[in-house]
Amino acid sequence: MAVTSPPRTLTAPSFGAVGVTAGLVLLVAVLAVVDITYGTADVGARQVWQALTGQAEAGDASVVVASRLPRMVAGLLVGVALGAAGAVLQAVSRNVLASPDTLAVNAGSYLALGVLAATGATVSVFASSAVALVGGLAAAAVVLGLAGRGATTVRLVLAGSALALGLNAVTESLILLFPEQTEGLYQWNQGSIAQNGFAGVVRMAPLVIVALIGLVLLARRVDGLALGDDAARGLGIPVRGTRVTAVVLAALLSAAAVTLAGPIGFVGLCAPALVRPVARRVRSLVRHRVRIPVAGLVGAALVLGSDLLLRAVTSAQVAVTVPTGVVTSVVGAVFLVVMALRLRDGEAAAPPDRLRIPSRRVFAVTVVGLAAVLVGTAVAGVLLGDSTLLLGDVVNWAGGQAGQAITFVLDTRVPRVLAALCAGAALALSGTLVQSVTRNPLAEPGVLGVSGGAALGAVLLVTTVPGAGSWSIAAAAFVGAGITSAVVFGLAAKGGFQQSRLVLIGIGTASGTAALISLLIVLTDRFSATKALVWLSGSTYGRSLPDVLPVAAVLVVGAVIAVARRKELDLVSLDADTPRLLGLDLARGRLGFLVLSVLLSATAVAAAGTIGFVGLVAPHAARALVGRRHVRVVPVAMLLGAALVCVADLLGRSVIAPAQLGAGLMTAVVGTPYFVYLLVRGRR
Amino acid sequence: MRRPLIVAASAAAAALVLSACGTSEPAKTGSDAKSEKITVTGGDGSKVSLDGPATKIVGTEWNVVESLVTLGVDPAGVADVKGYKAWDTAAPLTNSPKDVGTRGEPSMDSIAGLTPDLIIATNDLSASAIKQMKKIAPVLTVKSADGADQVGTMFETLDTIAKATGKEDEAKAAKKAYESKLAEGKKALKDAGADGSRIATADGYSASNQVSVRAFTSTSLLGSVNEDLGLKNAWKVKGDKDYGLATTDVEGLTGLGDDVRFTYIGNKKAGGSDVFTKDLADNSVWTSLPFVKAGDVHRLADGTWLFGGPKSMEHYIDGVVAALTKK
Repeated sequence: MAVTSPPRTLTAPSFGAVGVTAGLVLLVAVLAVVDITYGTADVGARQVWQALTGQAEAGDASVVVASRLPRMVAGLLVGVALGAAGAVLQAVSRNVLASPDTLAVNAGSYLALGVLAATGATVSVFASSAVALVGGLAAAAVVLGLAGRGATTVRLVLAGSALALGLNAVTESLILLFPEQTEGLYQWNQGSIAQNGFAGVVRMAPLVIVALIGLVLLARRVDGLALGDDAARGLGIPVRGTRVTAVVLAALLSAAAVTLAGPIGFVGLCAPALVRPVARRVRSLVRHRVRIPVAGLVGAALVLGSDLLLRAVTSAQVAVTVPTGVVTSVVGAVFLVVMALRLRDGEAAAPPDRLRIPSRRVFAVTVVGLAAVLVGTAVAGVLLGDSTLLLGDVVNWAGGQAGQAITFVLDTRVPRVLAALCAGAALALSGTLVQSVTRNPLAEPGVLGVSGGAALGAVLLVTTVPGAGSWSIAAAAFVGAGITSAVVFGLAAKGGFQQSRLVLIGIGTASGTAALISLLIVLTDRFSATKALVWLSGSTYGRSLPDVLPVAAVLVVGAVIAVARRKELDLVSLDADTPRLLGLDLARGRLGFLVLSVLLSATAVAAAGTIGFVGLVAPHAARALVGRRHVRVVPVAMLLGAALVCVADLLGRSVIAPAQLGAGLMTAVVGTPYFVYLLVRGRR
Repeated sequence: MRRPLIVAASAAAAALVLSACGTSEPAKTGSDAKSEKITVTGGDGSKVSLDGPATKIVGTEWNVVESLVTLGVDPAGVADVKGYKAWDTAAPLTNSPKDVGTRGEPSMDSIAGLTPDLIIATNDLSASAIKQMKKIAPVLTVKSADGADQVGTMFETLDTIAKATGKEDEAKAAKKAYESKLAEGKKALKDAGADGSRIATADGYSASNQVSVRAFTSTSLLGSVNEDLGLKNAWKVKGDKDYGLATTDVEGLTGLGDDVRFTYIGNKKAGGSDVFTKDLADNSVWTSLPFVKAGDVHRLADGTWLFGGPKSMEHYIDGVVAALTKK
């Protein structure tokens, strides 16, 4: 893919760059001035003018000085910091999709701040920004380290996005566990540039300015890096040192932005992307000494523009509760999808893993072994929990002879175990089908945004219709999943489900649905955000047998179809040409499998919330164990998925009992490293 | 804090619901009490039938727990015991109930392990969880809060719980105590010439460098008690349907007007910092507000559960009357 824009010539800044910069400064200035006339106080343009000219009443003047101006300056700083950080990260990774979001810098900072909040310590803004910096740097180091020297591919972004998902899952569990200590953190995570006076801005501004100066000083070396490592070395540029310094400075900028306003999503991705087409015309913009500040200006325009948009379309009252970051995240998600569409993916689909084809006996042993594991985990799931039972109790219960207490416990615990088993198997089957049809080993209902769409549909119903039943929630989830998958697969189908494009579109969609869900929670249910979080964290909490029925029914149908059409699945997953050479038209079959897969993941989401990564891990592990023929993969993947979610559920409800963690959080913690491992392995 | 709100509000609502149907005789506690069936209607309209007054009770929300404590019933299980002890000191627990997990996700296992004869929940708990609890024991679901009549809902909850536990006399006594406290407070305010004052009640929290202010509008429980005390609510923002709460920022306080008196609630035990005296101390919007300049900003006693029952509200009345009559 075209990831670099090598400087063609190194000319002095031309009039073009000056013009572009002047235009941007003017735009930002106009946005900034308009922004300070909006707010909850009755202070409009006239009062602002009076305040600035020293004629206003004391109250109005203080609103301008202590509330409007700090918010505007924070928006400027955050935008500049994120835009510049994105530009430099893209340059040193030679990756147009690199940004503080996609390299997990924001997620790392958020987690670090979440841990800090959970300890209940009240620390200064400065100390918390240091903590955020450490978190962001650590995450960036992990991502860049994983991607290794050849960090020129989409894999970097995929690894970062996956890590961000995992880290956010951990942070969200912290919020569930320490609701009082982390009060406000969830909303803050959506990103808002509101400020309590100038203190924060005054402390962060020097950091941003120093980092920016550092980047500008480093800009010539960054230019050199864009030529390629070897060429840069030839020019006498210390490649490693430059890269490390640039990443540290970028992380510093993102950490400052995160501390000031929470994560403002995707500005670091969009701003440099908007500069790129301009740079094609204005050649001096190719040089990073100019490009980094210009990207910063574009970032500032994006943040202030989003803030204004929010205030212009809603009332002041609502604007207080809707964070700016939600707006930028939705815009950014669309942006990510569009960029993914435009990617010229030079990267061929990873060659199929060379897998040995195990004998029939190995397959039999694997199935029997896994079935034993599954039975074991299911039994453990039933016996363990807040109160531990013995097998004899279960036997008595099954025979209707158990005592009252045991009957109670099992009556509520068994449906949860069943929900976990069915959801796990359904997600595994769904993942198997998607991976076959798209021939993409990274495709997974969670990563592709299908689960996010299902959750959006379900949350929409749950928040608007109180007391919605199991089947209607499943139906709403299916509608949501259907719409998102139509979008994701429809867009990715152009060019035949290319490896990275499909997953990137999916990740963009997943972020977009997550932002919309946050928006929905903030708007409809903001005094009980925890309730929705519980549901979103992929929990079997409160499931009874009727809730399990939809997923169980679809699972049975799906398994029968998958086994009956196993030959077709084998062919579809092989490559694009073989079926055609054989004279088969698999288009309809493919669509059928996709619909089935969406149905499976939607009902799984309705039964147990958004549980990620199972659809990725299970089919992979299954192929590694028994080869790639679907007659074998399907049952093994389903067994694995069921066991995985069952264990995650068991851990979630017993480790910190009587409090609980969602199974989805547990699978994210397991699944994220696995996803990253697959990426690393695929690189070779 | 959001959750505690809900809980408190639900408890209040439940109390109201209960009082409405408290027509049956108080169940006897003697040996023959068991033979008398008690039917109680919850805030959600569902009926719960008991063989006698419930004694082994699990409360999933703090307002419910407060009602139980007020009625002299020691709950067997309470969600988030530590939190209750920090937030609801007006009606302290007199026993050591088992902790059954978080209020949003109480553990079914823990509840079932207690073999309760009654579970009292609020309509803020998910419908599926309530459905599941019904398998463990009868579940009395009370309203979490109702912006249409907060105080009424609070007593309805108390009365409903009183009926289910055979403590109707205690409920009457609690109501009497509340009413006399209210009358006393009203008189004290009048004597001090503070009746008819415009009041703004709030709490606040800060995350990073951002301060949010939560307004207790006239349809919130505290707002309703304020009006019963003869005070006028100064908030112009509109509260949510159930709790009567609204969120605003510091700028939003400028709309309160000049003659307003400001009271707020904090909680030291729960680790909350005092947003209004610490975070906002240097904020010039805050310091130039007329009531801040006039020193008319009062922190009310910690441990007043804002969504609790009559005991909490008595605690609140003491606090607000003391604050407004100080000069």
